[in-house]
Amino acid sequence: MLHLRKGLAALALSVAMLGAQGAAAQGTLRIGMTASDIPLTTGQTDQGGEGLRFIGYTVYDALINWDLTSADQPSVLVPGLATEWAVDAEDKTKWVFTLRDGVTFHDGSTFNAENVVWNLDKLLDEGSEQYDPRQSAQGKSRIPAIAGYRAIDDLTLEITTTEPDATLPYQLAWIMMSSKANWEAQDKDWEKVAQHPSGTGPWKLETFVPRERAELVPFAEYWDDTRVPKLDKLVLIPLPESNARSAALMSGQVDWIEAPAPDTIPAMQGNGFVISSNAYPHNWTWHLSRVEGSPWNDIRVRKAANLAIDREAMGALLGGLMIPAEGFVPPGSQWFGEPDFKPTYDLEAAQALMTEAGFGPDNRLKVKALISPSGSGQMLPLPMNEYIQQSLAQAWIDVEFMVVEWNQMINLWRAGAADPSVEGSQSINFTYFIQDPFTGFIRHLDCDLVAPNGTNWGHYCDDEMKDLFEEIKTTFDPAAQDEVLRRTHEKFVDDALFLMVTHDVAPRAMSPKVQGFVQPQNWYLNFSSITMAE
Amino acid sequence: MLSYFLRRLILVLPVAFGVSVVCFALVQIAPGDPLTAIMPVDATAEQQAAMRAAYGLDKPLPVQYLIWIGNLLQGEMGRSIASGRPVADEVFGAVGNSLLLAAAAAVIAFPIGTFLGFLAGYFRDTILDRLITALSITGVSVPNYWLGIVLVIIFSVNLGWLPSMGAGPGGSQDWQWDWAHMRHLVLPAVTLAVVPIGIVARTVRALAGDILSMDFVTALYAKGLSRGDVLRHVARNAAATALSVMGLQLGYLLGGSILIETVFNWPGSGFLLSNAIFQRDLPLLQGTILILAMFFVGMNLIVDVAQAAIDPRIKRS
Amino acid sequence: MAQTETAIAATAHRGYWSAVLSRLRRDKVAMTCLVILGLLVGSAVFAPWLGLADPYQGSMIARLKPPGAPGYPLGTDEQGRDMLARLIYGGRLTLFIGLMPVVMAFFIGGALGVVAGYVGGITNTIIMRVVDVFFAFPSVLLAIAISGALGAGIVNSLVSLTIVFIPPVTRVAEAVTSGVRQLDYIDAARASGASALTVIRVHVIGNVLSPVFVYATSLTSVCMILAAGLSFLGIGVRPPEPEWGLMLNTLRSAIYVNPWLAALPGVMIFATSLCLNLLSDGLRSAMNVRD
Repeated sequence: MLHLRKGLAALALSVAMLGAQGAAAQGTLRIGMTASDIPLTTGQTDQGGEGLRFIGYTVYDALINWDLTSADQPSVLVPGLATEWAVDAEDKTKWVFTLRDGVTFHDGSTFNAENVVWNLDKLLDEGSEQYDPRQSAQGKSRIPAIAGYRAIDDLTLEITTTEPDATLPYQLAWIMMSSKANWEAQDKDWEKVAQHPSGTGPWKLETFVPRERAELVPFAEYWDDTRVPKLDKLVLIPLPESNARSAALMSGQVDWIEAPAPDTIPAMQGNGFVISSNAYPHNWTWHLSRVEGSPWNDIRVRKAANLAIDREAMGALLGGLMIPAEGFVPPGSQWFGEPDFKPTYDLEAAQALMTEAGFGPDNRLKVKALISPSGSGQMLPLPMNEYIQQSLAQAWIDVEFMVVEWNQMINLWRAGAADPSVEGSQSINFTYFIQDPFTGFIRHLDCDLVAPNGTNWGHYCDDEMKDLFEEIKTTFDPAAQDEVLRRTHEKFVDDALFLMVTHDVAPRAMSPKVQGFVQPQNWYLNFSSITMAE
Repeated sequence: MLSYFLRRLILVLPVAFGVSVVCFALVQIAPGDPLTAIMPVDATAEQQAAMRAAYGLDKPLPVQYLIWIGNLLQGEMGRSIASGRPVADEVFGAVGNSLLLAAAAAVIAFPIGTFLGFLAGYFRDTILDRLITALSITGVSVPNYWLGIVLVIIFSVNLGWLPSMGAGPGGSQDWQWDWAHMRHLVLPAVTLAVVPIGIVARTVRALAGDILSMDFVTALYAKGLSRGDVLRHVARNAAATALSVMGLQLGYLLGGSILIETVFNWPGSGFLLSNAIFQRDLPLLQGTILILAMFFVGMNLIVDVAQAAIDPRIKRS
Repeated sequence: MAQTETAIAATAHRGYWSAVLSRLRRDKVAMTCLVILGLLVGSAVFAPWLGLADPYQGSMIARLKPPGAPGYPLGTDEQGRDMLARLIYGGRLTLFIGLMPVVMAFFIGGALGVVAGYVGGITNTIIMRVVDVFFAFPSVLLAIAISGALGAGIVNSLVSLTIVFIPPVTRVAEAVTSGVRQLDYIDAARASGASALTVIRVHVIGNVLSPVFVYATSLTSVCMILAAGLSFLGIGVRPPEPEWGLMLNTLRSAIYVNPWLAALPGVMIFATSLCLNLLSDGLRSAMNVRD
C-alpha cells in the first residue's frame, strides 16, 4: 500500500514536471491560424490574406511594403526592397526603381535587380525555368499592369506598364521576392524550396510540417534593425475549427488565436485573455446588381435599404467586434472623404424614399439575395443576413435568399449578375479586401471589368465613375492620387452603390503574456515587436 | 491453410478493383469545379483553363480513370489540389497518425470490453450483468463527437489536465513515447474507445453466455473439471468470433475517426479527409478514401485467415 | 449465420406475431423506450399543432437564453430562436434522415438479398460481389465520402446513408434466404407446381422477414448517430433547418456561455439512439432471434 502511494506521488510529480516542460519556453509565441494548412512557403503565398500575413510578410519582403507599425493611422506604402521609385517624366508607362543596397537572403546570397527580374519571370514567364504555376496562380492576377521589366544595373530596375497606371506601387506590394540562389541550391525544385525557403524577411522558416505547424526564427541580419524580431521563435499552427482554436487557447496550447468565435469572447476575457482588434480595410457588403430590371437601379431604393439597417444593434450579434459601415471603406480611411449621404439608421427616411419610389406597406418590393452560410472573412453570414432581412422588411423590402456553398458562391461571383446561374438574384453578399485602389474601388465597378471577364459582379457602368478611375490611374503624385480616391469614395457613398453594412475588426484573442503587439490597420501584421512575458 | 489463404487473396482482387472504381466515381459525382477553392477569386477564364489542363481535368472520363489507375499502380496518386503536395505523401503520413490513435483506442477498448463482456456473460442475469449491459448499450448509443467536446471542456479547458488538440507539443513529426506526447493521445483515444468497448462487451457477453449454456460445458463440469478449466475452454471457443469482431472494429476505428479527429485537431486521415471535403480537394479525398478502404480490405483478409487458423471449422464452410 | 437457424425455428405461423407482441409488452425497458420514441415521433409529426414558437424566427436581443428563461422553457439558440421549438421541429429532420435510410435499405437490401439467395448462380455472384465492394468501406467512411463528394443537403445525406446500409442488409437477407431455400418444404412447394414468386412470397419472405427486420432495427441507432454526425461535420442538413447534429455544431461556441444549452441537442441524439438500441434488443429477444 505504501509502495503504491509512493508510486502515485512520484507519478504525480513527474506529470507536473512534464507539464512544466510542455509549457512554452520564454520567447516563443504560438499562434492558432484559421487556415487549414500552412500557406505556401515558396514566396507567393496562398490562403488569401492569412497567407501573406503569416508567411508572406514574415519570411519575405516586397519591393514596396505596407507600413505595419501604427495602430491609429491608416496603413500606407513604405519602401521595402526598393528605396525609391518614380515614373518617367515623359513616358508614363516607364518606372524606375532604386533597390536597397546590402540586402541578403536567409541563404546568404545578395539581393539585386537581376533577382527581381527572376522573381517576376517566376510568375509571368511560362517559358522560364523557374516558372511556378502555383505561385503564378497566386501572383499573376495581382500585377495586371506589368508589361515588361529589366535590370538596368545591380540596383536599378525598370518596369514598363501596358498603359499609364499609377496604382503600380500598390500592385507590387503583393509580390514577394524569393531567393534564386536557394532555388538553385534546392535542385531548382520548388517542392524542395517549400521545405527550405529563403527570403529577405525578418523571419526564417526553420521547420515546416504540412497541415500541422511551421516554426519561424529571427533573421538577425535583417536590413531594418527596428524589425529584427525580439522573440526566440514564432510557431504557426493551422486550427480551422473555431472551437478547437478557443479550446487550444484556453488550455494553454497556443498563446494567440485568430478570429475567436464572438460567443466565446466573454469567457476568454473572464479568464484573463486579451482581445485585440482594430479597423482594417475590410468590407462586408451586398454587392448590388445593376443589370436591367434590377430594383437596385433606383437610387431611392438603394438609399432606403441603407437607411433601414440598425448597424449598432447588429453589433450585439458579433460581441461588438465590428465597425458599423458609414461608407464603402472604413471610417478613418485616408480615402473616406466627405460624402453627403450618411447611411445611418433612419427608418422614417427610408420609408419616405420607398414611398417616393412607389412602394408601401401594401405594395412591397421583392428582392432576391445570394448568401452563403460560411466563407473566408464572411464573419457570421447567416445571422447577419437574417438580421438584414428583418431590417429591410420594415422598409417594405421583402428579401428572398438563395443560399449556396461558399465555393459555389465564388463561382457565382465570377459569373456575374447577368449569368443564368445566379437565378435572377439581385445582390450577392461578399467580403472584400479593399486595401489598395484596385481591390478597393476599381475592380468592383469598372466598365472594362464587367463579369465574367472581370470582377464587376453587378454590371455597373457609369461615365463619371469611369473618368474617376482613369484619373486614379493617371495621377502619379501619391497625395493628389489620394484626393482623387476620396472623390471616388464620395461617389460610392452618395450614389449608395452598395448595401454598406459593416467592417470586420480582425479580432484576435491572446494570452496576457503576449506583449508589445501593435495591431495595424492592415491585413498584415508585424510580429517583430512582440515579446513574451514570464 | 496456404490454399485457403490464396483462395481468399484471389477473392480480394475484384473487390480491390471495385473499390478503385468507387473511389474514382466519387470525384465524378461531385458537383462544381474542383479548382474553385484554390484559384484566386479574381482569376481570369484563361488562367482557369490553363489550370484545368495542368490538372488533367480536361480529358474524357475513361481516359482520366486509366491514367489515374496507371499512376496508382506505380504508387503515384496525383497531387493535392489545395497544397500541391503528392497525395501519397499526405495520406501515408496521416494514416500513420490515425493508426496510432486507432491502436491507442483499441488498447483501451479491447481489454476493457472483453473483461466486462466476460463478466456479464459468466454472471448472466445478475445485477452485474444488467449493469454492464446498460453500460455497453450506453457506449454504443453515445454520439462520440459530442462526448469529445464535453471531455475537452472538462479536462482541457476547465481542469487543464490534458491538451485539447494536436499530436504532441512539436506536432506528429517528432512523436516520442513519453508522457509529454502521450498525454495528447488520452482524450481522443478515450473518446474513440467508447463505442468499441460497448460492441466488444456485447459480443463477448453473448458468446460467453451461449457457450456456457451449451451441453458440452455441462459435460465438462460432469467430468469433474474445475471452474478454471471450464473457463479456459470457453475462452478458446469464443476467441475466433471475438477476434473477428475486434479486427473489424480496428478497421472501423481507423475509418471512423474522422469526427473525433476534427474535434481534437488530430493530424490523421480523418482530419485530412474533412479538409479535403471543405476545400473540395478531390484528388486528396479520393486518395485518402482509397487507402483507408484498401486498409480495411486487408484487415478483413487478415481477420478471416486468423479466424480460420484458430477455428478450423471455418475453412470448410 | 446464426440468424438462419433461428429463422427456421421461428417458422411464420399465425400465432407468431401475437406471441412476439405479448412478449414485447412484458419487457418494461423496451416498452418505456417505445413510449419515448412514440412521443418523439408524435411531437415531431404534430409539431405545427403544438402551439410552439416559430423555429426559424429569431431575435438578436434574446440570444442564448439559458433553459428556464421566461418565455423560453429550454432557452434560445445562437440566433435567439426558441430551443424547445427547434428541438421538436429538429426531431422531424433528424428522425427522418436517421431512420429513412434504414427503411429504404431494408426494402432494397432485403429484395436484393432474397433474389440473390433464392435465384443463386450468376445473379447471386453479381449482386454479392458488388455488395462486397461497398462492404470494403467502413460505414462512417463511406457515408462521409459520398456526402463529402455530393455536398451538403438532405437528399444527398439520404442517398449516402442508404448506400451505406444496403450492403449489410443484403448480406443478412442473402444468408437467411439461401438457408431457407434448401429446406425440404420449399422443395415440396416447388414440386407441387407453385411459381417462384409464390414460393418467395409465402415461404421465403415469411421466414426471412423477421431476422432481417430485427437486424435492420439494430442499424437504426448507428444511422441516427451517423446522420447527425454528417450534419455536425457540415455535410448534412444545411442551416437554417433545425436538425440536432447541426444544432450541436452551431451551438458549440456557446458552450462557454451556456453549457447546458449547448449540450441539449447532444442529449437528444443520445437519448434517441439509446432508445432505439434498447427497443431493438427487446425486439430481438421477443422474436427469439439470438445475437
